[in-house]
Amino acid sequence: MHLVGVSHPIQDARGKAAGRTRYAADLVLPRMAHVAMVFSTVPHGYVTSVDASQALALEGVYGVFHCFNTPEYRFNRYRSQYSQTLIPEEPVFARRVRFVGDRVAAVAARDLETARRAAALVQVEYQPLPCALTFEQALEGINCLEGESPIRDEFTMEIGTPPSLEEGLIAVTAHTELGRLHHAAMEPHVCVADYDPDLDELTLRSPNQSVHGIRTVVADMLGMPYSRVRVVKTTMGGSFGSKQEWTVEPVAAVVARQLRRPVKLVYDRAAVMRSIVCRGPMRAEMTMRFQPDGTLVSLDLDLLSDAGGYIANSSDYVHTLVGKMFRCYRIPYGRTHVRLVSSNTPVSGSFRGWSSPEVALMLEHTMEKAARVLDMDPVQLRLKNVLLPGERDPKSGLPMEEVRTRECLLLGAERFCWTEKRREDAAFNAASPRFRRGTAVACGGHGNTYYPRYNDFAGVEMRMCEDGSVQVEVSIHDHGCGTGMAFQMIVAEALELPIQQIRLKEADTAHTPFDFGCYASRGTFVVGRAAQLCALKLRDEILNVAAQKLDTTPDRLYFDGPSVRSKDSPEITLSYKDVSWYALGTLCRELTAQEKHAVRSNPGVTGTHFAHVEVDTWTGLTRVLDYLAVHDIGQSINPEMCAAQVQGAVQMGCGAALREEIEISSNGQSTCSLAKYHLMNAPDLPDIQVELIQDGRSQEGPYGAKSIGEVSFVPAAPAVAAAVNQALGSDMGRIPMTPDRIMETIAKEGR
Amino acid sequence: MKLDFFVNEEAVTLETQPQRRLLDILREDLGLTGTKEGCSEGECGACTVLLDDLAVHSCLTLAAQLQGRRVTTIEGLEKNGELDILQRCFVEEIAIQCGFCTTGMIMSAKALLLQNPHPTPEEIRTALSGNLCRCSGYVQIVKAVSRAADEMGGRV
Repeated sequence: MHLVGVSHPIQDARGKAAGRTRYAADLVLPRMAHVAMVFSTVPHGYVTSVDASQALALEGVYGVFHCFNTPEYRFNRYRSQYSQTLIPEEPVFARRVRFVGDRVAAVAARDLETARRAAALVQVEYQPLPCALTFEQALEGINCLEGESPIRDEFTMEIGTPPSLEEGLIAVTAHTELGRLHHAAMEPHVCVADYDPDLDELTLRSPNQSVHGIRTVVADMLGMPYSRVRVVKTTMGGSFGSKQEWTVEPVAAVVARQLRRPVKLVYDRAAVMRSIVCRGPMRAEMTMRFQPDGTLVSLDLDLLSDAGGYIANSSDYVHTLVGKMFRCYRIPYGRTHVRLVSSNTPVSGSFRGWSSPEVALMLEHTMEKAARVLDMDPVQLRLKNVLLPGERDPKSGLPMEEVRTRECLLLGAERFCWTEKRREDAAFNAASPRFRRGTAVACGGHGNTYYPRYNDFAGVEMRMCEDGSVQVEVSIHDHGCGTGMAFQMIVAEALELPIQQIRLKEADTAHTPFDFGCYASRGTFVVGRAAQLCALKLRDEILNVAAQKLDTTPDRLYFDGPSVRSKDSPEITLSYKDVSWYALGTLCRELTAQEKHAVRSNPGVTGTHFAHVEVDTWTGLTRVLDYLAVHDIGQSINPEMCAAQVQGAVQMGCGAALREEIEISSNGQSTCSLAKYHLMNAPDLPDIQVELIQDGRSQEGPYGAKSIGEVSFVPAAPAVAAAVNQALGSDMGRIPMTPDRIMETIAKEGR
Repeated sequence: MKLDFFVNEEAVTLETQPQRRLLDILREDLGLTGTKEGCSEGECGACTVLLDDLAVHSCLTLAAQLQGRRVTTIEGLEKNGELDILQRCFVEEIAIQCGFCTTGMIMSAKALLLQNPHPTPEEIRTALSGNLCRCSGYVQIVKAVSRAADEMGGRV
């Protein structure tokens, strides 16, 4: 291999550095209207009237749309596949508002400033209803109307065989409670919609994770043929899961169709934080039972989750969480009891890792506590319990294949100077009256595809141009982490062409094949494999055509770089261009290939993170001194980009562990400013170290690749949280461990 | 108001409102969309531009403050089709992912190097403290600025 495994800047790095790359908010269409939203100011209630007269009186206002003057279009923001039978619970414009930030009206005007001024003039009256803002209030059902139940989903699931004898087992119970997280993709949510009333065609352009998912939702909602709704994925300024739920697209579609002109809807940061989606809150009690030697025997999880204002994906999210529990440790028996409630708070939903990071916080918190109870070194305790090659994921039944968690632990402990750091921390803490240091480890596993939860496949088409360069049609949804470049590398490697000879555009329902979208870390593993297989098929096609030209059989030919040679006539060399010309000019056909790949595996993919922190016991502030992330990645396609993604996940994990939280005040208002929601910035972080273990190759991924985008986030917050607990000798389970909570713990428990 | 100022070394005259944000003037009136809006309140740094060689948030800078002054945006760095050293180092050091923070990040780095041509990694981190990146852990970004400073050798 000469390209795969060698670091390359991503495909649009140059355009992004120059400020030339166009994002959806940069698009301008003729006659385009700008849309501003009116959001609910009450957490729960009925909209009784909307008075838009003052707004409409402003010059340049084209229309105000709300539940009293627009057909009642409803949809399900989570629906991403045509076959999902989800209730269209969410109206485009709510009559019953369910949280502060729910959509009430949209104002379209000639420019954004006018639209925003007009939106501020729309008078909305509400008949308030009782609201639930906390777990307790939601459990009481104080926000339930007649016929509604406070528990929106409840189930118990058992995996494996319960231990025959509980006697002699050591039980460790930990309480973990997670706050709401904001994805904080730097690019706010945006959609540009264009409706052609003569052709009855709708085009939506947005940074999104599934063009076909949006098409399904919008076409069904508007009663349009799928073929007349075109969805184009634009350059994405980050997502982390926030752009896989449809919130702006249905609104822009409705307004564009009502107005019969193009519209642009851009949310500002406050609207993104309040009205799009957040990682929802969870409360968990987990009990692990061990043999005295540290062998994990069984696990019990009792989980309470809050869906927020709409159920959206929350039911699936908690079901998925149960499966994600078994992706790292050997758990002979697991029993989970899950309850889901719905409150009048921002909608909970998809977040990077889709419940793997959440369950890892619970697992690692309990594991950390167990290490103390069992008086075992945390690395040794994990070494004893991590899944090894040859073992299976007990939930899915699929082999973990060449999983390398053990190697991650061993390499990490050595590189991080685990034993020395722990010893030095003890000496430091004994001598320091103010600062406390802690070193901790956390492991976490994830998947590479939907399979076997759903059948998962991808299709790719390729055509060779007259000059031998190649156009690829594939529905990729690059989040900004360079999927486009990774795919160019995969295809170029297979065809032995320079990267510049491969052209690849992102998902567009009008041109690229059907795809489920970028979820479940399936991009490289599933779609990338399809691209590799399609390239190999194109190679076969090149040989077939070359054989016809040379009047021989393909087995008498071979590839020598991007050219075909004959075993029988060494002087003959055909370039791809020669072969393409022959196909077009003589055979009257284009050199093309079409391939699909249906996945049949989902190998173990894990990360092991090491964090060293210092807690200021006078202020409660925590500094991350040193950090190492070790990942079992199979073959990395573009290694430096993988490392950069891992470092980004660590940045996000440090924030999630120490400070990031959307808080809800007693009137239902939620944190909606980056001034109050603190991300880790450059001075806050150490030089994060990354090690990639690349010999645990997958059987099905391209060149043995496994996933990285989500799994990198799984162990991050758990490692930092454990390091804080290690520093303080505490057992805090409330995440994030903000200075206030740390001071409270110190006051309660002493240092 | 009649506003006369300079954008990327070109004289610009506009009839505008004194309270209009520089960000909107750049993006909407002048079509310079390389400057990004991420938070509208000076927290994320995506809209950073240079005002007389100092980094400012264009979302917090109003037309009334611009009379006669020099604004440099990301579009002003590239000369004759060639990227500025800083831009090139961001590309080559793989410091760019989603790219939404990149242009603001580069402008903050530019302001730093104009003031301090030989910054330490700590000084770089401090100078970029007002620019948020959600994709990375800032490692490649700091490296890119460091390398650009080395390559410039004191000339900015």
